[in-house]
Parts: sequence; structure tokens; C-alpha cells
Amino acid sequence: MTDLAISSTMAMAMDIDMDMIDDAFELDLSGYSTTTTTTTTTTTNTTSPEDDHGCAWNLWSPVVDWNVLTGGHDNFHELIESMMDDDDDDDGELNSAHKGDNSSNGGCNGSSTPPTEAVDDEYSAGGDGVVDEDKGLRLIHLLMAAAEALGGANKSRDLARVILVRLKELVSPNDGTNMERLAAHFTEALQNLLDGTAAGSAHASKHFLNNHHHHHRGDEHHHHHQTDVVAAFQLLQDMSPYVKFGHFTANQAILEAVAHDRRIHIVDYDIMEGIQWASLMQALVSRKDGPPAPHLRITALSRGSAGGRRSIGTVQETGRRLVAFAASIGQPFSFHQCRLDSDEAFRPAALKLVKGEALVMNCMLNLPHFSHRSPESVVSFLSGSKSLSPRLITLVEEEASPAPATTAQGGEGAFVARFMDLLHQYSAVYDSLEAGFPMQSRARALVERVFLGPRISGSLGRVYRARGEESSSWGEWLAAARFRASPVSSANICQAKLLLGLFNDGYRVKELASNRLVLGWKSRHLLSASLWTSPSDSDL
Amino acid sequence: MTSEDPEPNPTSDHIMDWLEDSVSFLPSFLDDPYHSGEINGYQWWDENQDLGHDLIHTLDTSLNSPSADAAATTVTANPANPTLSNHLPLPNLAKKRKSADDPIPKTSQNHHNHRRNHGRRINQAEDGNAAVEEVVAIRKSVGNKKSSAKATGNNCNNGNNKDGRWAEQLLNPCAAAITEGNCTRVQHLLYVLHELASLTGDANHRLAFHGLRALTHHISSSGSAYSAPVGTVTFSSAEPRFFQKSLIKFYEVSPWFAFPNNIANSSILQLLGEENDRTCNLHILDIGVSHGVQWPILLEALTRRSGGPPPLVRITIIAGTAETDQNTAAPFSKGPPGDNFSSRLLCFAKSMNINLQINRLDNQPLQNLNPQIIDSSQDETLIVCAQFRLHHLNHNTLDERTEFLSSLRRMEPKGVILSENNIECSCSSCGNFAAGFSRRVEYLWRFLDSTSSAFKGRESSERQLMEGEAAKALTNRGEMNEGKEKWCERMRGAGFVGEALGEDAIDGGRALLRKYDSNWEMRVEEKDGFAGLWWKGQPVSFCSLWKLDMKVSDS
Repeated sequence: MTDLAISSTMAMAMDIDMDMIDDAFELDLSGYSTTTTTTTTTTTNTTSPEDDHGCAWNLWSPVVDWNVLTGGHDNFHELIESMMDDDDDDDGELNSAHKGDNSSNGGCNGSSTPPTEAVDDEYSAGGDGVVDEDKGLRLIHLLMAAAEALGGANKSRDLARVILVRLKELVSPNDGTNMERLAAHFTEALQNLLDGTAAGSAHASKHFLNNHHHHHRGDEHHHHHQTDVVAAFQLLQDMSPYVKFGHFTANQAILEAVAHDRRIHIVDYDIMEGIQWASLMQALVSRKDGPPAPHLRITALSRGSAGGRRSIGTVQETGRRLVAFAASIGQPFSFHQCRLDSDEAFRPAALKLVKGEALVMNCMLNLPHFSHRSPESVVSFLSGSKSLSPRLITLVEEEASPAPATTAQGGEGAFVARFMDLLHQYSAVYDSLEAGFPMQSRARALVERVFLGPRISGSLGRVYRARGEESSSWGEWLAAARFRASPVSSANICQAKLLLGLFNDGYRVKELASNRLVLGWKSRHLLSASLWTSPSDSDL
Repeated sequence: MTSEDPEPNPTSDHIMDWLEDSVSFLPSFLDDPYHSGEINGYQWWDENQDLGHDLIHTLDTSLNSPSADAAATTVTANPANPTLSNHLPLPNLAKKRKSADDPIPKTSQNHHNHRRNHGRRINQAEDGNAAVEEVVAIRKSVGNKKSSAKATGNNCNNGNNKDGRWAEQLLNPCAAAITEGNCTRVQHLLYVLHELASLTGDANHRLAFHGLRALTHHISSSGSAYSAPVGTVTFSSAEPRFFQKSLIKFYEVSPWFAFPNNIANSSILQLLGEENDRTCNLHILDIGVSHGVQWPILLEALTRRSGGPPPLVRITIIAGTAETDQNTAAPFSKGPPGDNFSSRLLCFAKSMNINLQINRLDNQPLQNLNPQIIDSSQDETLIVCAQFRLHHLNHNTLDERTEFLSSLRRMEPKGVILSENNIECSCSSCGNFAAGFSRRVEYLWRFLDSTSSAFKGRESSERQLMEGEAAKALTNRGEMNEGKEKWCERMRGAGFVGEALGEDAIDGGRALLRKYDSNWEMRVEEKDGFAGLWWKGQPVSFCSLWKLDMKVSDS
């Protein structure tokens, strides 16, 4: 029964997403198609009238042919994994090499030994003849060395600089293999650290955060056109379960939490295009045996500081679209905005609350959300929630590995360890995206450029400034702040599994705690969705 | 043991190339000492005319100008100063010098020259016998502002800090990881080194290249013969003519060897001047790495001695042993098989009317040297000139260094000139692999960094040859170095007593350094009067002078 309801909800939601996007961005999409990729142009032109949704992106949808294309790809994150494993078992074989023991030399001359003879062969750049995997390995070593030089025990900015120069010779964010493009983004992120920290670490943080919006290597490059963002968002949604996993898990939890309420108020930390709420409305109005659809109010937070005007405009646009959509399906709905302070802090007092509303705080921090907001801003939102006693807090965030053992050595080794962890994490993301859309390198490149690049830069910057000591997850932060876990229902878990069934079978879903679901790619955790509720009265 | 035919073969190809018109200059040189600065006499370098001129200018300035006897006073008064030679009708030369790094602005040449002589006189007057700590400050007082400012700036920036020296930050940890047996770490660092190593580019890239080569060699081959990879050239693999050209070019642009050679020549002249009997033959035992380049300058200076050159000048050359195993070859000690500088020297001497006899001993181990082997006799002035070769001697199981010095003592030379790299020993018993390796790397860094400046950052095959040879310091097992203090200890232990270098040597050394990059400096140590050659505030080599300690002569 429940299962059926869920899947139908989901199916509808997926349709709705398409509709919403299409309705809202028809013009934008055509604009995008002429300026960006020929692929887009083609697909736009070939959109047939009998296409139900008239969505240009349908041809790229996983529903079409993903099943055929799940072949084995170079999963280079496994390479990183094996490298990192190597660190654990240092055997002392090398010493005996002095004594001319050839057999022990093998310990260092195995398959992963660098081509020592090749000092004199080409190392000019490109490395055309080099096998991809080998190049991947070289890139990983260079990236790791650059991180060591930047934040390791023996810092050397000169060394970092020269390694980054070499990396830039080897990679470009726009072409090459997965690993090459990923390495390009990490190279750029490291370069930002190198350049940014020169101005002094106190200001580096701000400088860095502003990078993406103001002076990051020329505005036009990183200041993505809105249509690019929309297109990339839609692609990401089609290529992977990243977006829907969070939205669906959160929505299902919200539906369960407010099943008997007449008025619902959702405060959304980063609403973006509001796609999450279209599917929630659809679910609310189609509840079969429940009461009539409750009134839904959504308050979207908008940025307070520089770029605030743009943010407000975007949020307003999202609001208009949601209002129109709610009206079209008969969902009672109202939309509000709440501005963050100039330092992006959330003030609960700025929120308009109505008595009798079930309050839900929705905090999506996963890709593609959050790229421009600081941890302090998230803290203000979560801690502000405490005083509002919300019914439910839905949190979706990226998963970091638990702090590695090297952290025990102190801050120095920790940065490198966290760097490698991030590299590992994003390599899984890149692999999963490629598996979802093996043939669409341009589409992937757009997603990478718009979302992943800035995100890698941001994540690395935070890790760097925290010297690897930052708390590993917001869920832990909430637990430490005495928020109570709110269990994930079995129906919700079931829905997540169904969702993954639509994508490549490399994706996994796992229940890490009673209130926490994790989306993984193969062995690597990518995202987690966790559910929380206000601290009990005794805790306050 | 082979003995060179003292008669040069005039039909030999390379002699012809080198010595074209070798004597045409002599009359004018002798008749008109005022024009000695022209040095067109050194056309024996004809093949490399430009290089030869510059080299001679470089080397000649300092050796000529200071002098102890009357004949040289003339020279001092009419200094063989390269700045003067700019006025002479030598278009080639003038052009060359213009582009070279002459710190003296043309407009102030005469003025400067005057001041410089003045400064030297004052210096001589004040010095007396006291040895002074001489650093760049002396240059500042007499040099022009621009060059002194440059020197100061460079010293400030590059003194003791290791900024900008990134290659060592990969090489040394890698060596340490090898010592620790941390295979993963070694692999990682080798990967990174491999990406950054290059035979061209700044000194760090080149250091990474040679360092990577040495490390992989160390890991992969214990004991097996080392074969230089494609792209590196060493002396032994170089074509002889190119080898000669490169060596001369190197002398022209870097004082690495030119400075110790210059000090040694000055000291030889000084020792000779102390002899009562001017008709005594001179016998030089040459245990060095100059491959003959050192001697023309000395020979030329001998002709200007009052009373002329000694009736017979003998040079006994202990050639670098022909080691088939490159693993143990010391850098710079062995030239290519076809290089026969003896005949060129003989030819040059003939043009100077010097009775020169060269005895070249190949495959003569240093340990076995004795008066019979070098055929020394009582009626000659024996001077031992040991430069950058003795550190190659073992000092562990058998203390060959001490043993050799004792055998030197038994030859009872008039003096011993010892020049060595002033770097701590890097042999395996003075520290583990990582410690020794980092010292070798330190040595090579100074070489590469100074060579970058010497060649003005330009890529050149000459530079690559010199660097390829220097890089043997990383791979060979015999090269060990030793700090100056330890050498002094050994010398005293063997029955020698240190003698402060003469004013001429010091002045000459200082004058010589003006020709080179301003990061070079000479430091004269107060306690012993020896001269140190420093690069960017770091010691490179030292030059010392020793005489027999008569107190122990009986033993």
C-alpha cells in the first residue's frame, strides 16, 4: 500500500520536475542551446511535438538508455583508494635494496613504480602516449604533493607553486579523462589557496568565499549565466540521484511528520529553483485517504550581502513559479522571503511565524546547494532553529570520511589526509556521473564547471582554514547541540531504494543510523539525509 | 705510467687548430708592456678566439696586477685591466665584453681604474702582515654603487635561507624515506620528482633531474655499473674538442675552478719568489681538475719574473685514474680519452720560450706516490698543487687521506697548495644514506645555482656538460668531501704548517671575482689566512697554503 503510494508519488514528481523546469525556463533553455553546446542545439531542434513534456533534456534522461550504458569505466577513485590503503602497510623492504637483494627491490619496482627510466623521454607535457591510468596516478601524486607542500608538515610555497604549474600543463578542466578534469579542478582549488592565503589567513576566508562571485579569475568565467546553472541543475538531476535522493527523503519525512496538520510552514535554507516543493505539493494534493490538502507556506532565505539583489530576484522568480504551480494543481500556498544578515547569518526574529503552523526547517547542503554559503551561516540557521522548536529538521549534506588516523598527528598531516579524502570523494562523484552519462562529456563538463569546480574550491578552502580539524558533519553538530534524532521510516528507505533503481547500479543506499540514510557510489559515501527534531523541553 | 713526448707534434690536428699563429704576438707583448692588457698574445686559443680572450682577461687581470718584484710594478702601474682593453681596436672582443656581465660602467672606467689602484695600495698599506676578514665590503669601498648594491641585495635574499630551493624538499625526504624503508613514500616522491625533473630550466628542475637519477640508481642497482641516461653528458663521454671548449667557457663565466687556480698560481709565484736561487728548476706536482687550463697563465707570469722563467719547469700531472666503474669516479677528475692538453701546453711554453717538461702519470693511484715515481730531485723547487682530488681518498677502513698526506710530507715539497670543496663528508660512515645524500645535494645545488647565474640562465650544451660532470657527486660512491677544519687537522697531523696566503694571492683573488656574478665572494679567515670561495653566503671551497713543519722534519 505504502509502497504503491510512494512510487506513484515519485513518478508524478519526476514528471512534475520536468514540467516545472520546462514551463519556467523555456526561453532560457533555448538561449542556452545557442550559446553553449551543439548537443543542446540538436536536442532542442529535434524535440518532437509528441514529446509529452516538451523537455529538451529528455534525450539525456536516465530513463532513456542508461540501462544499456552501465559498462565498466575507469573507476579511478578505486585507484586512489588503493593508494591510500598502501599507506597503511609500509613494509620495510626498501632497506634491503642497499644490499643488492634483487628480490626485495621488487618491493619498490612493482607496477606502481614511476617510470624511472623515462626521465629522458617525454616529460614535456601532454603525455599523449601515456596510458590513462598511469597519468591518473601521476596526477594523484602531484596533487597530493601539492597539498603536502601547501599544508603538510614541511610547507613550501615554492614547491607548491611549481607543482601546480606542472599540473596545469597536464590537465584542463574541459577535456581529458575524468581524472584529468577532476585534477584540473583540484589544481585550481589549490591555486586559490596558494594565492588567497598570501593575503593573510584572517582575510583569506572571506576572500575565498567571495571568490566565486566577484573576482574569481574573471567574472565571466565563473559567474555562470543563470541558464547554465539551470541546465546544469537539470543535467545533474537526470544524470544522478544526487538531487532527488535528498528531496525525496526530506519530502517523505515532511509528509509523514505533518500528516495531520492543517497548516504547514517550511523554512528553506537554500531554495534554488524550488523543484523540491513541486513534488511535495503534488504529494499533498494527491493524498487519497487523508484530509484535504493543508495550507503550505514556504519561506525562502535569500542572501543579505553583496549579490543579495540578484539572490532576491532569483528567489522571487522561484516564488512566482511555485505560486503558479500550486494554483494549477489546487494546492493552497503562500510564499515568503527572509533575508539573511549581511554576514549571511540567520536571525529567527526575522521570520514571520503564524500560530498553529507545523514548522519544518529544510537544510539542503549537498550538491548543488550551498556552494556560496559559509559554515558560520549554516550554524546560524541550525542554532536559530532551536529557538523555533520546529517539528522537523531535514538535513542533507555531503559525507566525509571520519577523520583519518593521521589526524592524531595533529593539524599538519590532517590537511593532507582530508585533502586526499576530498579527492577520493569527488572522484566517486565524477565516476558516478560518468557512469550515468558516459556519452555526454559536454553535459558532464557543464555540471562540473558550474557546480563541482566551485564546490571543490569551497570545500578545500574550508578544510584548509580548519587545518583539517573541522567537524566532519552537520549531523554530528546537531547531535552535539542536543537535537533529537527523528527516525527514517521504512517507507522512506524503500522509496530511496526505488529511486536508485532508476539509476546506475553503482549507487547504494544505506541506513547508517535510525535517522540517517546514506547515498553511496560503490564503496564510497556521497550524501546523507538525516532527520531531526527540536530538543526536548528538558534540554532547553 | 706513460710519459709524454716533450716535443709537441706540430702536425697534430687539434694543436693546429688551437695554436694557429701562436707566436706572432710575442714581440709586441714584450716590447710594449703597456699594452699587456691587450693580450692578443693568447691567440694560442685561436680556435676559440672569443672564449680565449675572455678567459685570459678573466684570469690574467688578477694574476698580473699584484706582484712582489720590480718587473711587476710596471704591470701594476699599467694594469692589465680588461676595462682598458675595451679601448683597444678589437671589435670582436669589445662586442663580447659589452654583452658580458662587466659590473664596471664604461663611462667611469678610467676613474674607476684609478680608484681601484688607489684602493689596492691603501689596502696593501693597511694590511701589513695581518690577515683580515675580507668580504664583499672591500668591493663596496672601491667598486661602483650598482654592483655593491646588487651584491648586498643578493646576499640578503639568498643568504642562509632556503627559499626557492624546492627540489631539495623532495630529494631529501625521498632519501630519508629510502633510509627508513618507507616504500610508499619513496614511490610517491619519485613520482613527483619525475614530473618536475628536467635537464633544462631553473636550477631546481635540474637538481631534481640529477637527484632523481641518483635516487633511482641507488634503489634499483646496488653494485651494478652505472650508465648515464640519455641526455646527460659527462667529461668521459664528451667529444674532446667540445670538452675543451666547455671547460674554457666555464672558466670564463664561473670562478668555481678559476678562483682556486688563480690563488694557487699566485702562491706558486710567491713560493718561487722566496727561493734564493733564481736558477732553481720548478717542479709542480699537479693533482687537480684543471685539465691544463690552469698552467698557461702561470707560464705567462713566469716570463715576467725578474730574471725570467726558471731554467726548467716540470709539471708532473697525476691524471684521474681511468676507472671503468663510473660509480667511483670523482667529478671533474677525468677528461675524455682523446684530450691531450700536454702537447698544447708544451707548444704554448715553446712560444713563451719556457723550457717546459710535462710528465703525465695515468692510472697512478694517489696512495702510492713517492719521490721516485714523480722523479723529484733535490735541486728543484717542488710544489704540490692538490685541488679537488684528495677528498676522493678513502678515510675509513684505511685512512688513505692521512697516509697520502704523510707521503707528500716525505717528498719534502717547498709548499703544498690544497683546495677542496668546503662541505662536510658525505660518505656512508659519516652518516646514513639520507644525511650523506643531502650533503651531496647541497654541493650540487651550489654548483647548479651558480652555473645558472654564470650562464645567465641560458641553456647551453657547455653548461650541461659541466653540470652532468658535477652531478657525479650524487652517484659516485667514492666522492666524499670533507670540511675545511678537518683538512687542516690532517695537514697539521701529517707535519705541515699552514701559511697565510700572500697579499698577491688575496688581491688577485679579489680582482678575479670582480669578473663574475656578484653573489660570489672571497672570505679570508683571520685565524689562518686561507681564502674561502663563497656563493650566496654559503661556503663552496677553500684554498690553503702549507709548508713543512720543521719541528717534525726529523720524524
